[in-house]
Amino acid sequence: MASDLYRLVYCSRNLISGIPTQIAAEVAKILEASRRNNSRVAVTGALIFNAGMFAQVLEGARKDIEATFERIQRDERHGDVEVLAFEEAQSRGFASWSMAFVGRSRENENLFAHIGSDTGFEAKRLEGEHIFRIMRDLAIDEETRAA
Amino acid sequence: MLSSDTHRTGPLHITAPTASFEENSKFLHQEFAGPFPDQTAAVPLSALNNLNRAVAVIGTGSSILYKNRAFDELFGGSELPAQLREFIDPVAQGIDHAGSRETAFDDGRTFRFETVKLPEGVKLPEGLLVIAEDISKRVAELARSAEQARTDPLTLLGNRLMFRERLRELMANLDPAKEMAAVLSIDLDRFKAINDSLGHLVGDSLLRGVAGRLSSVLRRGDIVARLGGDEFGIVQSGQSQPQSAAALAKRIVDLVGRSYLIDGNLLNIGASVGIALIPADGIDDDQVLRNADLALYRCKQDGRRTYRFFENAMDEQMQARRSLELDLRRALAMRELKLVYQPQMSLSTKQITGFEALIRWHSPKRGLVSPADFVPLAEEIGVIVQIGEWVIRTACREAVGWPQPLDVSVNVSAVQFGSPSLVPAILSALAETGIEPCRLELEITESVLMKDQGAALGMLHKVRAAGVRISMDDFGTGYSSLSYLRSFPFDKIKIDQSFVRGNPDDPSSMAIVRAIAALGKALGMTTTAEGVETEEQLARVTADGCTDVQGYLISRPLAPELIGEFLQSHTDGAVASAAA
Repeated sequence: MASDLYRLVYCSRNLISGIPTQIAAEVAKILEASRRNNSRVAVTGALIFNAGMFAQVLEGARKDIEATFERIQRDERHGDVEVLAFEEAQSRGFASWSMAFVGRSRENENLFAHIGSDTGFEAKRLEGEHIFRIMRDLAIDEETRAA
Repeated sequence: MLSSDTHRTGPLHITAPTASFEENSKFLHQEFAGPFPDQTAAVPLSALNNLNRAVAVIGTGSSILYKNRAFDELFGGSELPAQLREFIDPVAQGIDHAGSRETAFDDGRTFRFETVKLPEGVKLPEGLLVIAEDISKRVAELARSAEQARTDPLTLLGNRLMFRERLRELMANLDPAKEMAAVLSIDLDRFKAINDSLGHLVGDSLLRGVAGRLSSVLRRGDIVARLGGDEFGIVQSGQSQPQSAAALAKRIVDLVGRSYLIDGNLLNIGASVGIALIPADGIDDDQVLRNADLALYRCKQDGRRTYRFFENAMDEQMQARRSLELDLRRALAMRELKLVYQPQMSLSTKQITGFEALIRWHSPKRGLVSPADFVPLAEEIGVIVQIGEWVIRTACREAVGWPQPLDVSVNVSAVQFGSPSLVPAILSALAETGIEPCRLELEITESVLMKDQGAALGMLHKVRAAGVRISMDDFGTGYSSLSYLRSFPFDKIKIDQSFVRGNPDDPSSMAIVRAIAALGKALGMTTTAEGVETEEQLARVTADGCTDVQGYLISRPLAPELIGEFLQSHTDGAVASAAA
């Protein structure tokens, strides 16, 4: 049902310590668990790990998003979780990904350098929209390249 | 011969009523022994065949001399269960001739057995009559209601009763030489606001969310319970202390403080955690819990969203606070509070324009107690509402007796604006004393508008409509937000004394005074510089554009009986200096 489609965008600070390969291994685990859990409840989305920050988009039924978010909140591998958007969506931006992992092509750039500079309500909403678009573009871009 | 002793075997800890036993025994007794002893022997055991109760007669040597159909239905016709044999053997050996006992069988059923020695002189083989009853359902029911009585129905965590019992049990079994445990008392910050604004359904879901997060951080053997409204408790045992409790508390403050998505709402609350160690911080559960709560209280004083361990000093401070609270409540009743009045002078006319009423507490026990010591306490315990209303009434009444109809200003705190009785109290003070409303001035700080701007503004407008004037006190110390100044047409801005007394070589204080004075002028408000103590400061604030001053240079706060004399001498002085 289209009216029960919600989108959540949040960003958080990485709390995994270790050298880059250890962090990468842990992120891979997060991604695997996320794909496993999401495919069960028809949640789709994308995860990006860039410059010590996670950003994630989750799309699905409200109850499923809320349950998924609760699990995410209990994860000690990140902190300072900031919800940037949680609202009804017209359509899925990541319909074909149970959890896309984006940003590999841009690892050397700090994609979210500006996050946290302004935390006003309106600024957050724009930020959520902004991150959603960056991630969707990256996902499409990287998929095209891989093909 | 009949014994009402209840013996138990097996792991049961539940006592069931024995009424049915009494009834049955009487019935059987009559069957075998009375009412006419001669006739009883004629009653055959077969009379019991169709009885709805399981009955058997056990003879010496554990042989079953008789059993009825109901007995067979319970225990099977041929082979008796081993546990029944275990029960029968000691009975047959005469260890327990009469009584009642409950036995849990391995198959999950629980039985109550009543045993009665057959009456002597009856023409029956020597033996014991056994009545068996399957009480599994009742036992399960009791267990369920015991569980229910110890469960919080909302979160399905344990409740206070369960928490207390388990804590007592743990303390009784703890070897204080070897082990330590910790009690964590947890309180949510901002929960009430969410419950009030979004409704209790969302509030309930949020409490379930908190319960889920708390449960997720526990280890085996830890105990968690919802102790009341938004209070939770944890007992942590079997780990090294105090570091484990500190780690758990830190995790809870972080985890519970992370945002929640509930029913489409993004919710943020905080958690404060007070910790008491066992056995160091208490010899019984009462003391340990109280000390954990004292530590929790300290968290709240320290700005919440944090954790604190109990310290003995907290107990002393709490005692001191409680004693101050008692004395303060008594002070209200005993009229130990007095008002003094500090004059305010217009810089243009050099005339006294009014007085600020300031509260003083002369305690017979403590001497003069500073408002800085008792006003915060009065706000915390809520008596500031009564005190504040007394101040308004007294200031109006005393001002009416002044030789000139000058202004009288009173301080009204944010807590008072939370009370629905504030506006009626002001209006009745005006009516009762007959003071002209425009002589009364309320001094409020920004905190009044910060808390619940809408409600406070509504109250300010009501008071203003009655003719009372409103001034912004201590301006420059808080946020000094221009939006607060714009939100209400204040009559006066009072510039905090820290800027007035600021180092003359420090240009920033002077710039601030000048800016506020200019702002007041533009908005058509009086600007009063507070805390003016020297001629030099007076000259400076005059040059900076303030319209009025208050401070020791004009006068210290005066007892009410000195006001007439002060006004007389000030007028004489002003006339003299004008003439000079």
